[in-house]
Amino acid sequence: MAPKSLGKEKQIGDDDEVLQAVILADSFNKRFRPLTTRKPRCLLPICNAPLLDWTFESLALAGVQEIFVICRSHAEQVKETIAESRWSKPGSGIKIVPIMTAKETFSSGDALRDVYTRGLVTGDFVLVHGDLVSNIRVDEVVRVHKERKKKDRDAIMTIVVKECGGGGRTRSKGDSSIFVLDSETSECLHIESVIGYPRKTHIRIPREILVEHPDVDIRNDLIDCGIDVCSVEVPSLFQDNFDYLDIRRDFVHGVLTSDLLMKNIYCYVAKGGYAARVQDTKSYDSISKDILSRWTFPLVPDNNHPAGHVYEHRRGNKYIARDNSVLLARTSKIGNNSLVGSGAQVFNNAQIISSVIGRNCIIGHNTVIDNAYIFDNTKIGSGCFIEQSIIGTGVTVGDDTKISRGCLIGDGVSLASGIQLEPFVRLSKRIDDEDDDDSEVEDIEEDQDAAQARLGVDANVIVWTRTSFSGSEHDEADEDGVDNIKNQRFMRIGDDAADLDVSDAGSESGDEESESDDDESDLHLGNLPTSSSTSLETGGVISSDLKAENELRHEVNQSLERAFTEGHSLENAAVELKTLRMASNVPITRVREAVISAIVEKISIIEGGGVPQRREIAGVVSRWGPLIGKIGGFDAVETISELQIHCTTSTRFPLFGQILAALYQEDIVEEEDIRAWHNLPASQGDGNEQMKKCWLIGGQMIEQFDEQESDDDDEEESDS
Amino acid sequence: MDLTVASVEHITREFRAVVLSGFGNELIPLTSDHGSEPCPKALIPVANKPVIDYVLTWIEGSGIKDVLLICPTTHKAAISHHIHSDLTAASSSLRIDVQTYDESTETPGGTCALLRHFSSRITEDFVVLPCDFLPPSTLPLTSILNKFRTESISDGSLATTCWFAAHQQEKNTIVEEWGSPPAPSPIVWDESTGTLLHIDSPDDLDWNSEELELRMSLLSHYPRTRLSTNFQDSHIYVCRRSILDLLHEKQHFDSLREEFMPWLCKIQYQRLKQEKYGRILNPITNAATQTVALNHSSLHFSKGSRAKAGDYTPDEEPPSPLDSDAISEFSSLRVGIVIHQGPGYATRVNTIQSLMEINRRLLLDTTYSLPTDPKSRSLIDQKAQISSDSMIGDFTQVSERTTIKKSVVGKHCVIGKMAKIVGCVLFDHCVVEDGAKLDGCVLGKNTKVGSKAELSRVVTQAGYEFSPGETTKNEKLEVTDWTAEVDNSEEGSDDESVDENEDEE
Repeated sequence: MAPKSLGKEKQIGDDDEVLQAVILADSFNKRFRPLTTRKPRCLLPICNAPLLDWTFESLALAGVQEIFVICRSHAEQVKETIAESRWSKPGSGIKIVPIMTAKETFSSGDALRDVYTRGLVTGDFVLVHGDLVSNIRVDEVVRVHKERKKKDRDAIMTIVVKECGGGGRTRSKGDSSIFVLDSETSECLHIESVIGYPRKTHIRIPREILVEHPDVDIRNDLIDCGIDVCSVEVPSLFQDNFDYLDIRRDFVHGVLTSDLLMKNIYCYVAKGGYAARVQDTKSYDSISKDILSRWTFPLVPDNNHPAGHVYEHRRGNKYIARDNSVLLARTSKIGNNSLVGSGAQVFNNAQIISSVIGRNCIIGHNTVIDNAYIFDNTKIGSGCFIEQSIIGTGVTVGDDTKISRGCLIGDGVSLASGIQLEPFVRLSKRIDDEDDDDSEVEDIEEDQDAAQARLGVDANVIVWTRTSFSGSEHDEADEDGVDNIKNQRFMRIGDDAADLDVSDAGSESGDEESESDDDESDLHLGNLPTSSSTSLETGGVISSDLKAENELRHEVNQSLERAFTEGHSLENAAVELKTLRMASNVPITRVREAVISAIVEKISIIEGGGVPQRREIAGVVSRWGPLIGKIGGFDAVETISELQIHCTTSTRFPLFGQILAALYQEDIVEEEDIRAWHNLPASQGDGNEQMKKCWLIGGQMIEQFDEQESDDDDEEESDS
Repeated sequence: MDLTVASVEHITREFRAVVLSGFGNELIPLTSDHGSEPCPKALIPVANKPVIDYVLTWIEGSGIKDVLLICPTTHKAAISHHIHSDLTAASSSLRIDVQTYDESTETPGGTCALLRHFSSRITEDFVVLPCDFLPPSTLPLTSILNKFRTESISDGSLATTCWFAAHQQEKNTIVEEWGSPPAPSPIVWDESTGTLLHIDSPDDLDWNSEELELRMSLLSHYPRTRLSTNFQDSHIYVCRRSILDLLHEKQHFDSLREEFMPWLCKIQYQRLKQEKYGRILNPITNAATQTVALNHSSLHFSKGSRAKAGDYTPDEEPPSPLDSDAISEFSSLRVGIVIHQGPGYATRVNTIQSLMEINRRLLLDTTYSLPTDPKSRSLIDQKAQISSDSMIGDFTQVSERTTIKKSVVGKHCVIGKMAKIVGCVLFDHCVVEDGAKLDGCVLGKNTKVGSKAELSRVVTQAGYEFSPGETTKNEKLEVTDWTAEVDNSEEGSDDESVDENEDEE
């Protein structure tokens, strides 16, 4: 009886396992600036509730019981908000723990390493970002994940993706991914990230995945929701691979391409439900609209509003705060899909079209607000026109101001009357004590006075660089390219990037060489010749390879130097070299070359040669020679060739024969190897004098071997 | 308008079947010449019926009447003889036009060149078929034609192809000496619309052997596609007449399957190609008049939006019937695909492995019973043991105490006493003398097996002779081998012993 009940208890224990979630509250990029200079992105309001609250709400819906919020910038504010949130109130059933991470945390990877070192998670957990709006049942995903783990022990992660149409507004053009999934198991086999600019013309699917998975789906219609159900070993993998920064670009890519980790990642394709991340101003716009048009139900303003506001839902998806504090003039017009916060006042003939108005805002007479987002406590004068822009908290806009599409106005800015802002202007308020944040200044236009004069704003307003118009000034050429300036245009509110979006003309000369003359007319039509671009590409690859090799050579030399001077054991030195090789991802032959050259250079040249020189060589080779065999993939013939090649370019050239003899003495190379090397056509050196000489020396050795064979008695003599 | 005349003309001329019969290089030595007499691939028997009969029956079933059969000049006599002989009742209602081309076996010319050459004889939409396709009963040609009919009219599809699931053969039945089955080429297609998007041609493999490259424009037009290596090309292409004009335009293409079709798939999503070749392809313009109606239809897939029923997403606006660019792109120039996954086994008899496999499968469905015709009956000895999963051709003589299991024996064969034939395919006029043992062999026409010879997994050219008592295993044998006389067999055994020695080392 007893064991049975035990088993039952255990089962209950399984079920009771607390579902944990980790929220990365920092975005690690700057797309919302200047709105985010004094506030973290996760506290920006969307439909008048902070993003973080939307995220909590989404997780609560999924049945998460313990949430860790990893915050970095403006951590105090985040902490405060969490304390105020209704989910931190007793009885909410959720435990929210803010985790302050160090300022040095610059990426999601760093944050997860922090999660690991603190030992926060105890089981499978949900990893989300602090900008998530979702109504997907994540608990279902967790169940599927656990089930799968029983079958496939290496399944460490389930990425939640959502189907959408090809041209969905929530799917970012600037930063999306193509998923290659196994048709049956939806194992994720390959992810190719696609950015808007520079345009990608091809995706490349490794053929090797087809060997094991003959049937795969290629999906270009999935939104990566940024919800990952992770096993407990995920943070430790981040810890082991200290170079992983981004979850998708580094971790997932690393796991999928690595043959060392042997882990699998799966996707969960959510058919229903809604999930999206507020990654940039463009998605801010589209997600706001999705919320207003109730795609996120039950998370809608009139029901479960995360900040606890109460709205009345009127026909045409208009939401007006219910507490009778809203003042709408009789002649004002509120269009469909709009939200007006409590305490807002809208005066005569003002029009609000598909916009969100924060609490206690004042909208003047005859003002038109078209597809704009206005945060709390902002005053808009009369006769203004604002379209497709985001206006921060506590902004004052004077009368007859025109704010064109794509403008971002930071908190507390005040604009005088009659100002006409061009599209995509970014403004923020001057802060005097601007000492705590070092990197903030770089984006600000250098000549403030001129810029202010041009826009007609006063001296309290800082004008930010207009990235798209003066792109070359601040070339923040990010390595991964997602945040390049042109690509950012795909992520900006109000920017349709029509001038950038060249549709793929298609025809190319590269794939059909025979057709090149045929397709010349295609080239005339303005198609970029892809053949040249591909050649450029390969050139780039080669140069990066070269770079890696040089780096490796340098590293190997340093590592061996340490080993030589500190007298490491062979095993330790070999382990160090292997690690180097894996880190720099170069073929084993390169490492061997580097080791051989280092050993040869280690041999000091003794004037006069003779016995002391020979003794020196023997000493070095017997001490370090076996290392060549220990670094893996040993091939004696190649070793000799590499020795030959190195000697021809080295001052140790005269020692080639003696070194070879020493290697032979140490049994690192055998007689047959020398013969095999000697027979190689490449060994003769193709007219290279030095190579030829080495070859001849080898020939002499072989002659000696032959003599030895003919009379074994003389062996000792010929050796010494 | 004279309705009667027009309609009659129309029905008869809707499609023309173009059957291509090649040399069958993959089937050597079965297709090597027998003396001066050729052994065309089209006449290789499958379950005692020439393979081309299956194709012709299939064509007939679809209602197509006009067949253009293109074969090498040397094969013409044999093939026309077969077609016009009374025995093949199958082709009775077809009008078969046999045309020839001059080519040697060494340099098999391109299928594109053939179509170009005979394009004057093809005046209507056409279906290209191989002579060696064995269609399953579950896949009528009509279903492929119907897909083409709908799509070429509704949105200007260019061609329709048919791919079938490649069956993995069981390990033990594969004989490595017979050559490996062709590597299936990966294809990308859109399931919801049945559109073939990409064929990974051998050129692509040469171009980038590590990765499979797909154009982004493909993925943006068809965001949800499947990539699979499980399917083989049936070499059945239903094409518009204008494809021939395109072939004339692109003179450098040789192979229809390996070069032209992969290229044709690209037109549908590459804008420049569309502009360039749209003129030639000259799509039927009655699509334009139907555009508005089709856009109102929920079954119609407008290009670019994947309006699948029940797949309504928040982000997708319902397509407006008056969408202007839908009108400008009425002609999709796409290539349709019919995927046959079973039930029903489809194959092309273009390798020895597939020939064995299809014979084995067809035998599963047959039950052998002794011939009722007294004349044939008298040829089979009472004491012969013939299992029910075998097939014996007419006028074949089987002597006493011979065992035949899981085998197909052709017509006019002579099987001696005490012979044992298991899992073999014997073509017509074979002679197996007393006490011979055959296991898993394919014997060409007029093969002679001497008494007490033991053969296992051997393929022979027509007219090959085994001397009595000879033992051979896992070989493809040509007559030239045999004319080299006895030395050869000794050499063979020598080789084997050498092999063994090496293995031991």
